[in-house]
Amino acid sequence: MGGPLFRIMGLWGRQTGWLLAGLGVSLAALAAGVGLMAVSGLAVGAALLASGLAIPALLRALGMARVVLRYSERLVTHGAMFRALADIRVWFFSRLARSSAGGLGFRQAGDVLARLVGDIDALDGLYLRILLPLASAVLLLPVLVLLLGHSSPGLATEIGALFAAAAFVLPWLAARASGRAGTGLAVEAGALRVAALDALTGLREVRAFAAEGRMLAAVQGKEAALLAAQQAMAGRTALAGAASFLCAQIAVLAVLIDAGASPAASIAAAFLVLAAFEAVGGLTRAGALAGHASAAARRVLEAADAPVPVPDPADPAAMPVAAGLSFEGVEFRWLPDRPMVFESLTLEIPQGARVALLGPSGSGKSTLAALALKVVAPRSGHVLLGGVDIATLPAALVRARIGWLGQATHLFDDTIRENLLLADPDADEPALWAALDAARVGEMVRALPDGMDTWVGEGGTRFSGGQGRRLALARALLSPAPILILDEPCAGLDAETERAFLETLNETAPGRTVILITHRLTGVERLDRIFRLSGGKAVAAAG
Amino acid sequence: MDGALSRTMTMNVRDDVHPIARGLYCPSQRSWFNPIPMAKAESTQAAARSWLRREQRAGTKAARPVLMWHVLGSIAAIGQAFAAASVLTAAFTGSLLDARALAAFGALAVLRAVFSYLTERAAFAAGAAARRRLRTDALSRLLQAGPALLRGRHSGDLATIVVDKIEALDGLFSRYVPAATFAVAGPSIVLLAVLYADPRAALVLLGCGLLVPVGMAIAGIGAAAASRNQFLAMARLQARFLDRVRGIATIVLYGRAEDEAASLGRAAAELRVRTMRVLRVAFLSSVVLDLSAALATVLLAIHYFGLLQQSGDVDVLWPALAVLLLTPEFFAPLRTFSAAYQDRLHATGAAESLVDLPPLPEPAPAREIRNVAAQGMTVAFDNVRLTWDTSRGPALDGLSFRVSAGETLVLAGPSGSGKSSVIEILLGFIHPDSGRATINGADITDLVPQALSRLTAWIGQRPVLFSGSIRDNILFARPEATTDEVIAAATAARLDGFIAGLPAGLDTKIGEGGYGLSGGQAQRIAIARAYLKNAPLLLLDEPTAHLDPATEQEVLDSLRRLALGRTVILASHSSAAHGFGGRRLDMRDGKAVSARGAA
Repeated sequence: MGGPLFRIMGLWGRQTGWLLAGLGVSLAALAAGVGLMAVSGLAVGAALLASGLAIPALLRALGMARVVLRYSERLVTHGAMFRALADIRVWFFSRLARSSAGGLGFRQAGDVLARLVGDIDALDGLYLRILLPLASAVLLLPVLVLLLGHSSPGLATEIGALFAAAAFVLPWLAARASGRAGTGLAVEAGALRVAALDALTGLREVRAFAAEGRMLAAVQGKEAALLAAQQAMAGRTALAGAASFLCAQIAVLAVLIDAGASPAASIAAAFLVLAAFEAVGGLTRAGALAGHASAAARRVLEAADAPVPVPDPADPAAMPVAAGLSFEGVEFRWLPDRPMVFESLTLEIPQGARVALLGPSGSGKSTLAALALKVVAPRSGHVLLGGVDIATLPAALVRARIGWLGQATHLFDDTIRENLLLADPDADEPALWAALDAARVGEMVRALPDGMDTWVGEGGTRFSGGQGRRLALARALLSPAPILILDEPCAGLDAETERAFLETLNETAPGRTVILITHRLTGVERLDRIFRLSGGKAVAAAG
Repeated sequence: MDGALSRTMTMNVRDDVHPIARGLYCPSQRSWFNPIPMAKAESTQAAARSWLRREQRAGTKAARPVLMWHVLGSIAAIGQAFAAASVLTAAFTGSLLDARALAAFGALAVLRAVFSYLTERAAFAAGAAARRRLRTDALSRLLQAGPALLRGRHSGDLATIVVDKIEALDGLFSRYVPAATFAVAGPSIVLLAVLYADPRAALVLLGCGLLVPVGMAIAGIGAAAASRNQFLAMARLQARFLDRVRGIATIVLYGRAEDEAASLGRAAAELRVRTMRVLRVAFLSSVVLDLSAALATVLLAIHYFGLLQQSGDVDVLWPALAVLLLTPEFFAPLRTFSAAYQDRLHATGAAESLVDLPPLPEPAPAREIRNVAAQGMTVAFDNVRLTWDTSRGPALDGLSFRVSAGETLVLAGPSGSGKSSVIEILLGFIHPDSGRATINGADITDLVPQALSRLTAWIGQRPVLFSGSIRDNILFARPEATTDEVIAAATAARLDGFIAGLPAGLDTKIGEGGYGLSGGQAQRIAIARAYLKNAPLLLLDEPTAHLDPATEQEVLDSLRRLALGRTVILASHSSAAHGFGGRRLDMRDGKAVSARGAA
């Protein structure tokens, strides 16, 4: 169970100093807290024995130290946590980028990615809420045993065992239970999400068939199942918490029973034991959290370890000058057990041509774009860029020649300017406006109070669908790529907006090779050639 | 667009940003400090605040069992402190082991363990009950608002509200509300016990306890600030990261992965520096709590140390021990409350989404239509006007037409001419601004949705297929239908051949995680639904817009058979659909331009 978590912690290597500093201050603050409590007990016992003159000074020092150290602890540990979680995100992003274009992002829905990001978020509590309390317990155990063993070795052993049960065994059990329940909870939560999505995506169907009551009942049913699973889990965690509390109480009881032997020492011991167990009381909850974090870490590592889909050639060929694109006898399928997408695809798109690729859904139109972009590699046959097999070229250079605008093209939650600069970080102001004007959004952007510095919102939600597509087109046009692949650029747009967008397209990108991938033509496109994809082959159609 | 613009403007008015949040807000910053989370309209924030206050009041009632177990636990803790003090005092005076006190301590320990378990159970129940209630409320409102919602919002976002935002409210009801109540009740009970043991000590505790709110007020920050800052910073980091990961394909294909990873790291570092600068001040409020707790312990311990040393009086021992043992109990509820503040912050975000949901409409008095099946359906529009958005002009501009029983009307014209609006009015998704749309003479706005639904079958551009089997998806039209009826409908829609080739036939799972269907097959399922429903009025809205020409012809053939004996209105700009037969009405800019019989 701990394996994935250890690997995640291994990623914090660069921050070891900060993390250890946080741990040090945290342990010092804990020592001051437990010490304050124990010495205040000692004060009462010692006073009657007319000893311990230094105790008031010690109490004041411990009280001050406690306050100062707690403040420092908060600052240092939070700083360390921020460093660690930044490192994990950068690492995950880089790893995902290696393999992402192939599987994640290009084909899979965004919610898979969103769930992964949720898993990363679940790891944020690892240091503060799991690791630090656990480390405190590890330190406290020998201290507790040593201090108590001084007067009564038997009692020390007994209390040490109880402490180990409360701080390690019960949290471990809670972690195991939550790790197991986690799978069931995820299934129930997924079912609830699907039921809610069904009801809301199908709002038209639901209204047309008067199914409101049925859909509500279905969601309530899934919710009840989720709540039942959560309740079982919460019950187990509460039980572990109660058991851990009982361990503490038995330990205090043991001290009380033993009080006759050395009353003054017993008072101090009782206070010490209370404070020590109090410090680890939250560990059962931390254990439950660790169960979740461990499952999250496993999923994150799985995604991060996905293989690179198309490795770059060791000895790349020289980049061609020409920008024609051709497919020669290409055979491809996504997975060995899936049907062939292309059997023997041969297709030539000359430089500067404007071409449409038509075909029903499932005919492999988007796969064609993936092949050209080196997101996937053909099983046999060749994809040629300017007459050179792209298998012999580095993916980054091939992609630099091909601008892509697809359904998965993303507008970032940033300014319009930043979104455009993604295509060409060195573009100057006139170049940006030229791209916006070419995509017919220049006027719209000029009319905004903040112009190009307007935020586009999450996924471009501040703009209408048509405007968002045009902004993405402007970005594609800004890139100096001589080939443009537009993969269903109008998906999700209403027909009027689609028409206007395609008309814009006719007048932009002169001289570039334009490949329009679509399921049907609207009649406004101006094209040099039209190909129809069917049965894994491309057939020239009238045009 | 209007909405987007006005939101952009709000964003630039920095005064509506919370003072603490303003410390993190930097408009010239190229990245990270995305102002959007704070750019919500003032009215939404105010509505969310009052919603939270209302829900907290309701939650306080629901949290009574939690509070009760908390209070019982506190009383048991007091008993334990007294018992422990008795045992230790007895040991000191050399008398026999105080067995009764020892037994009491043990028994109370077991009781406290039980109480703590019951507290957790009750807290879960309070959170679960609130989630159940709020989720039903939110989903009911969304279902009532109906399809018009999907014009402005993505269904995935709406599902996030119903699932995740409601889940995020759990902590408010299961932890924050009980902790807020107990933050006053808990220390008060302990204070009473201390008053009994040693009145002067009670004064010290009270003084130190009052230091907490007073200190926080003087610091001018409140325990809230630290949590809120950390929460905002984390939320922004997570949102930004999610955005970059969602668009990772775009980044990789533009060859910018390394740059983005580096800027991600830089930005996270910047965020850390800024956040820590704020936290350095904000954490001072936690210092107040730590300080008052430490101060109380130190003052009381030194006080009793001096007292015992001077007098040597064993009688002082019992109150000294009892008070010192109770001191942590006095501050514990305050700590719990301070920790639970995070839960309230989580809830604030969710509350803003919930108050934005449409309200439940007033149930309108509605009439039923009689004698429908006997004489067929007659549909008429009389001077109907409808405007979606004033900047775009009217969608329907005084449209009038009439379709007699059993007749087919083809609405033709470019998109934006108002065809879909006609269909949506007949489905009851929207109401006309003026004029009358009638079915068999009854105004559609007077009909209850259920009655309207019984009369109409509808097939749109892309049917939504639900998760489940093909059988479930056809049964959606009429859940009480028999298997024979489902098979008959599937056969009529020409789905029988396709179903026969599937691994589990009619029970093959489709939708999420199931078997994928092509556009044409999905449309046939919609046709099978219409057959099963067997309604007298058939409304077809661009049913072939997303199909390739060959599939389009096949689907149109099936639709032609379905149309027999029904009143049909077909909206389409496809030339193939215009050979569907029936009368044709050409529309432009929301008006009828010509009407003629088609071949």
